[in-house]
Amino acid sequence: MTKKPSEYMTNPEYPDEPIPSNILVVDDSRVVRTYLQSHLQKQGYIVTLAKDGKEAVSLISNDIGIVLLDLWMPEMDGMACLRHIRENYPDIPVIIITVSHEISNAVDAMKYGAFDYVTKPFNPNEILALVQQAIKTRVQTERLRRVEAELDKAREHEIAIASRIQQTLLLGGKHEELKGIKLGDLTIASKKVDGDFYDVFMVHENCMDLIVGDVMGKGIPAALLGAAAKHHFMSVLYKLTRISGNTSLPRPEEIVLTVHDEMIGQMRELDTFFTLCYARFDLYRKLLSYVDCGHMRTIHFHSATNTCSLLQGVNMPLGFPGQDNFKEILIPFEDGDLFFFYSDGLTEAKDSKGDFFGEERLEAFIRNNAQLEPQELCSITWKNIVEFSQSETFSDDFTCVAVKIDLPETDEKVPQSRTLEVSNDLNELAKVRDFIQEQCDALADGVMDEERIKMVQIVSTEIMTNIINHSYKGKQGKKILIEAMSSDDEIVLYFYDWGIEFDFSTAPQPIFDGSKESGFGLHIIAHTADYVRYSRDSTGKNCACVTFFLKRRG
Amino acid sequence: MKFNTQDIKGILIVSAFPKILDASNAMEFKTDLAKLLENRQQVVFDMSAVSFIDSAGCGALIATLRMLKNSGGVLKIFAVQKQVRSVFELVRMHKILDILNTLEEAIDSF
Repeated sequence: MTKKPSEYMTNPEYPDEPIPSNILVVDDSRVVRTYLQSHLQKQGYIVTLAKDGKEAVSLISNDIGIVLLDLWMPEMDGMACLRHIRENYPDIPVIIITVSHEISNAVDAMKYGAFDYVTKPFNPNEILALVQQAIKTRVQTERLRRVEAELDKAREHEIAIASRIQQTLLLGGKHEELKGIKLGDLTIASKKVDGDFYDVFMVHENCMDLIVGDVMGKGIPAALLGAAAKHHFMSVLYKLTRISGNTSLPRPEEIVLTVHDEMIGQMRELDTFFTLCYARFDLYRKLLSYVDCGHMRTIHFHSATNTCSLLQGVNMPLGFPGQDNFKEILIPFEDGDLFFFYSDGLTEAKDSKGDFFGEERLEAFIRNNAQLEPQELCSITWKNIVEFSQSETFSDDFTCVAVKIDLPETDEKVPQSRTLEVSNDLNELAKVRDFIQEQCDALADGVMDEERIKMVQIVSTEIMTNIINHSYKGKQGKKILIEAMSSDDEIVLYFYDWGIEFDFSTAPQPIFDGSKESGFGLHIIAHTADYVRYSRDSTGKNCACVTFFLKRRG
Repeated sequence: MKFNTQDIKGILIVSAFPKILDASNAMEFKTDLAKLLENRQQVVFDMSAVSFIDSAGCGALIATLRMLKNSGGVLKIFAVQKQVRSVFELVRMHKILDILNTLEEAIDSF
């Protein structure tokens, strides 16, 4: 006869999957077996009986809710039976039945994971209370286990989403190729997903911009912020390019600052930040414009000398408050040079002793393998680090991008060069503008329209005025030498003077609200010329060099 | 520096600006204009002659605008050439100057 099981036999959280109400009673004494069976059945339990350990083992299954186990039995004794149950059915509580002079055995059994024990002779109520308690415990254990399993599932789901975000939104994907640059990349997402991101923008037929970043934190929040950052870079690049009227590209430092300004509010709210490298490869100038914001130091392999240098900027990561400018550094490169960008997943990979792979080892590895194609270099770097750490799973994302300069053969024409020497007098400005006009007139028809020539003239006027007013500071009878070179692609102007060195840190920032009538010259120069460089040589000669591209960008 | 002036309905129209307004003549431009505009409240600049301006030229215009404003005056300018307009935009002067297309528009805007 089967009665309705006790209320505790149903797991209240999961009524569809009740705890089995079947109790297995294992005792060699028929009297004890029958006695327990009758009491338990009265309370609504289903009872299965076994006369020894061997039979118990053959009867036990997941349909059993609880086991009442005598310790002293022929065939397989209670202790061996307990071990079997613990190993194979860890969730089933076992209550030990023992005689009072063998309590020490019962205590041993507890060590092996028995739920509790009763001593013979026993009071049936005592047994029932224990049974109920064991069932309660089992219900709770199972509930806990389910919650944990669900939590694990949710975590796995989250990681799967983050990983998809990373693969689809954060990492480069297929890129168009820029003639003269070979690109290799490799990303292996860690279990936790870090929010590494990178992207490549072909901003001009001679220029490629690369961003490589790493968001603080892990999982979905980091992945989403990385995606947001990428989106911001793309839109800022587009916006700034439109504002500049397609005549010049926005500078990397300007792009980074604009993205920073757009995102700082959100990042502060989320209490997060990201490190970043913004690198513009200008194949025409053979110049890398590099804005580093706390990212891993990029490795620059010089093919001419077979050496490496590490590029490092001075900027803080994006998201740190109080940053109103980002400093850009310019690094010349040559054909055959290679730049290796990477995330901390590479250098912080550990070997079995806990030692880091480290920057030094990575640098040496890149130097020894820089002749490889960039894609292959990325792959063998991964293999090398896997070998080092004896593991294919890292605690951080593994991201690397290799950029190899592979310039096509060119038959460069000798640039046309002219010079003009003037005195440091503002009345010479008109002469300088005429000189510029002649230089531009000598170019092929239609390369420079009147408006563009005027913009070259205004930059020249501003540089001249700066030299006269600041470098020579009112001294008379000094000279300024101007050298103009033009090719099919650009005009480069050099302004030489022998006055004091210009200190940019003291130059006032332009104020546009009408309250100031000076301080606009540097701003006009920086926003009109495509490249500006100031330098001073050891003889005290200052040089301001400005470049204007002749082909329209867009 | 010589300017042409004309008075229409109490508005002072200043024209015949230099073709080039740069660091070499900005100071003279500013000083001479300041004399001309003394005690004037409504002023219009005809910019059509100016084909080239640099930051010093912009500075002179800003100084003139400020001087007029401080004495309660109003300045409008019109007929700005393309290069001049580009430079104004570079230094955001199009935001602080009232720029109109024609003399009529400038006069009507008072």
